[in-house]
Amino acid sequence: MQHAETTQGRPFLEARNIGKRYGGLHAVRDVNLSIYPGEVIGIVGDNGAGKSTFIKMLAGDHEPTSGELLIEGRPVRFSNPRDAKQAQIETIYQDLALCENLSVMDNIFLGHELTRNPVLRLLQRNKMHIESRVLLDDLGIGIPSTHELVVNLSGGQRQATALARVAKAGAKLIILDEPSAALGVRETRALLDLILRFRSQGKSILVISHEMRDVFEITDRIAIFKRGELIAIKRTKETTPDEIVSLIIRGRQ
Amino acid sequence: MTQSVTQPDRNAGGFNLFGFARSQEGVVVFLLVALMIVVAVFSAASPYFFDVRNGMNIGRAISIIGIASAFTTLLMIAGGLDLSIGAVMNAAGVVAAMVLTQTNLGVGGAIVAAVAVGALVGWVNGMFIAKLGINPLIMTIAMQFVVRGLTLGFSASASKVIVDPTFLAIGQSYFHIGPLAIPAPLLWMLLTMLVLWFVLRFTLFGKYVYAVGGKASACRRAGINVNVITIQLYMLSGIGAALAGVVLAAIQGAGIPYGAGSELSVISAVILGGVSLAGGIGLIEGTLVAVLLVGVLKNGMTLMGISSVFQMVAEGLVLVGAVTLDRLKRRL
Repeated sequence: MQHAETTQGRPFLEARNIGKRYGGLHAVRDVNLSIYPGEVIGIVGDNGAGKSTFIKMLAGDHEPTSGELLIEGRPVRFSNPRDAKQAQIETIYQDLALCENLSVMDNIFLGHELTRNPVLRLLQRNKMHIESRVLLDDLGIGIPSTHELVVNLSGGQRQATALARVAKAGAKLIILDEPSAALGVRETRALLDLILRFRSQGKSILVISHEMRDVFEITDRIAIFKRGELIAIKRTKETTPDEIVSLIIRGRQ
Repeated sequence: MTQSVTQPDRNAGGFNLFGFARSQEGVVVFLLVALMIVVAVFSAASPYFFDVRNGMNIGRAISIIGIASAFTTLLMIAGGLDLSIGAVMNAAGVVAAMVLTQTNLGVGGAIVAAVAVGALVGWVNGMFIAKLGINPLIMTIAMQFVVRGLTLGFSASASKVIVDPTFLAIGQSYFHIGPLAIPAPLLWMLLTMLVLWFVLRFTLFGKYVYAVGGKASACRRAGINVNVITIQLYMLSGIGAALAGVVLAAIQGAGIPYGAGSELSVISAVILGGVSLAGGIGLIEGTLVAVLLVGVLKNGMTLMGISSVFQMVAEGLVLVGAVTLDRLKRRL
């Protein structure tokens, strides 16, 4: 297996002593985590453990109050989601951030539309539909028509649309917040396959999940959060679900 | 949110009647059918109704509402609302009249000044709504008072008569195409709708109008500058109201500072035309047919001798009927 060595070389993203406090409350405290290209990291922990706050700092939604972030060795500051996007970090939240009144194609290209004529900025619909189709087929996503409105899609198809958009944007790090929460068995399978496909393309993936089976199937490493702290990072192959659950519940052993 | 259960076959090539009835195109078709029925009824009821000249009268009568409603359609698709447009119309008419009589800037200067006033009011609305998150309803009602008060103050509450023949031609001339004499205001309305239809359908800006109305937070995360789009739309709304006010002043031959605001007629036409109050859904075509429908109803009732008091009641009932049907069709 190759990804045993993925933690070698230069990390794509490095969080150093990163923290976030709201007034007197320490939501996240001194987290150190390096994320390497082609690696899937699972983030687990109980509710309120600081998982969401942590990924929101990487996504530019919340600015850290302490510590620093490095992208490919260079220090960066994310004060809004646009900054994170520029660093090729894309985040998919549970609500997926799709415009349900628009088509699959519109959502895949949202914010990156192809246009001609710099003054009128006319949409190149056909070109975008064709490119969307190619992209969906490449990713093995089963959506019959790129013209379909998102409101008519199933939960899995919506998830896939959001992932296709992220792939389109050329993300190097994809952050997923509880991606399988609303999915059926077959849809979850398709999602996991998609994540593994992204990994094989050298993308890094950070996924928050409560589903131990999913976590053990797709991740290379598992980061366990408790009370705002990153209490342990385990190689997936060297641990067991029991050990992870015990860490989540009881903390340090 | 209605989470529709999987409908994998919807695009398999077959025609889905229920899907169509729910779609925004379906609303337009429904309104067109309603319009044809109303036209048929009035044609049977009055010998004066089905006549080219009467048609042109209807066209002129709806043009002011029509021009403003085209711009309001864009704003409301994006989830906005502007109740200051009636006040802006009056202000624009008065400003145009005062520029014509008190300066030598001419007709061009008068129109530019009026449009600038509309754009400024829209910019103020947009800034407060987009940047500070003030509720559009409250903000634009407040601006309605401000603009109305300023208009009355600057004009000393007196109508400003316009005598410039070029300016009056904007509202009172006709374009002759073969045997047809098309009133200029009707032409302005159709041109406005054509341009905005094109913008909505084919341009990036039009796509963002729908996207922002669909889910502003998703647009923000996709890197779209939602605030700028919102401010631009309120400015467009103000500009549209100002253009309507210029045409109105030209029809009336005066800038009248105390006219009753027509913002509610505009907004109800837009809603009748199928624009969702929640945003994200609607077509200029729907607004056009809705404006026509209301105009035809009013004209037909006038010809049948029904008093304008009851016409108001009818206009209200049509709107209630339309939104009721809109509610019911979601259960299809």
